[in-house]
Amino acid sequence: MSSCECFSDNFNQDHFLAGVDARVKLLVVFALIIMVLSYGGILFPLVIAAGSLAACLKMKVPYRLLLLRFAQPLFIAVVLLVLKLLFSGQEVLFSVNLFGLELVGHRDGLMAGLTIAARILGGVSLVIALGFATPFLQFVSALSWLRVPREFIEIMMFAYRYLFVFLEDGMTIYSAQKNRLGYVGVRKGLHSFGILTGSLVLRGFEQSQKTSEAMIQRGYTGDMPLIESVKFRVREVMMAMACVVCAGAIWIV
Amino acid sequence: MIEKILFIMLIFISLPEKAFSMHISEGILPFNWAVIWFAVALPFVAYGLKRFRELSKDDLSFKPLIGLLAAIVFVISLMPIPVPTAGTCSHPGGTAIPAILVGPTVSILITGVALLIQALFFAHGGLSTWGADVVSMGVVGSFVGIGVFRGLRKMKASLGVSAFCAGMLSDWGIYLTTSVELAAGIRGDEPFWSLFSKILIAFVPTQLPLGIVEGAMTAGMVTLLFKRRPDILAKLGVIKPEEAGATV
Repeated sequence: MSSCECFSDNFNQDHFLAGVDARVKLLVVFALIIMVLSYGGILFPLVIAAGSLAACLKMKVPYRLLLLRFAQPLFIAVVLLVLKLLFSGQEVLFSVNLFGLELVGHRDGLMAGLTIAARILGGVSLVIALGFATPFLQFVSALSWLRVPREFIEIMMFAYRYLFVFLEDGMTIYSAQKNRLGYVGVRKGLHSFGILTGSLVLRGFEQSQKTSEAMIQRGYTGDMPLIESVKFRVREVMMAMACVVCAGAIWIV
Repeated sequence: MIEKILFIMLIFISLPEKAFSMHISEGILPFNWAVIWFAVALPFVAYGLKRFRELSKDDLSFKPLIGLLAAIVFVISLMPIPVPTAGTCSHPGGTAIPAILVGPTVSILITGVALLIQALFFAHGGLSTWGADVVSMGVVGSFVGIGVFRGLRKMKASLGVSAFCAGMLSDWGIYLTTSVELAAGIRGDEPFWSLFSKILIAFVPTQLPLGIVEGAMTAGMVTLLFKRRPDILAKLGVIKPEEAGATV
């Protein structure tokens, strides 16, 4: 799976959430994230995680892609869970003697660790579902409606446009270096990585020069056009409110 | 206690998965801490925007350049690099590079953009932790990077050595700040310093060598630019115009 194929936006957009206004999706996700973060237990974030994962599966997101997305957050969740289990709390849950080392796990530490891990699962699942459900340009349009400064959005659009070019360039250089044994040994590896970074920055400068010249020739005056926001659809707003109210009811219970 | 911490370090070293740069994932920070870090990050991002507006007013090529630099930071922070002591691959932060090239305030803006795209489309970092990540990677990473680089250059250190130290200390600065953010956010009833030291030590196997790798990467980037296009470095004010053409 190439780097570009891993991108959520490259994923098939013909799914049940494709037609829903990006602003509605963004606002629902914001509301649910606030609920997940302010919840003190395990149940609510896990319900949200299950719902978000179900939505991803309904959108036919490949399992491997989902696992890739979860790898980093799960790694951090495991680190924090182990730290909390072994170093926090008073109530002893278990005690293991491992090669002369006394390891004590605490019940309250475990609960605190599980709460954080559940919050990570809930939050990450929501963001992953949002990423797969919303094409980049619609997301940018929603940000513009939320009054995010225009310059910030313009940089995002430039960055997004050239991400794929640099990802491919970076991978090509990396593969070529690897084939020439550029990563055999620490010293050689560090040198190769420095050259890879430098080459990318160099290409970036050259590309930016070409891009701006081409844009100026096509009438670029310093501002990029953004998609105009249309009126909200009543049905979508009602569905979104129902979704948030249901989640709120579970949160309170 | 020390044996326990060493044991945890051993667990992480033996993890077969890739290790990761220290983005704080979605959901780690409770609501109040997420809001606090947003409040800390926003003035820096706002100042970065103000500086960006000033610089791009007269130069139409500046906007595409910053956008492309954001794309490069994004790509660099996704590149797998070997971490010798951990025996795994990891991803660098890459914020010292834009800080050296275009200054720390615009670098914060670039980091903010790259982090938002990474959070949405790669699940690296998060929406609620965007503020905390901007503070550690953008604010601390950029200011430490440029501070060390300019300080060493004033002391007549070579371009390569200055860039190496800037990249390395910038990475370690990010690692320290992320540990502070994590410890403050998840400590519960535990004393802050106790948890902070545990988090700090737990990530030592990946983060210390990663800093050295990041230093080498930054030095490699600056020296390559100096060899091939010193005019770019001179135009951006990284080196004096008369330095273009001298040896590294």
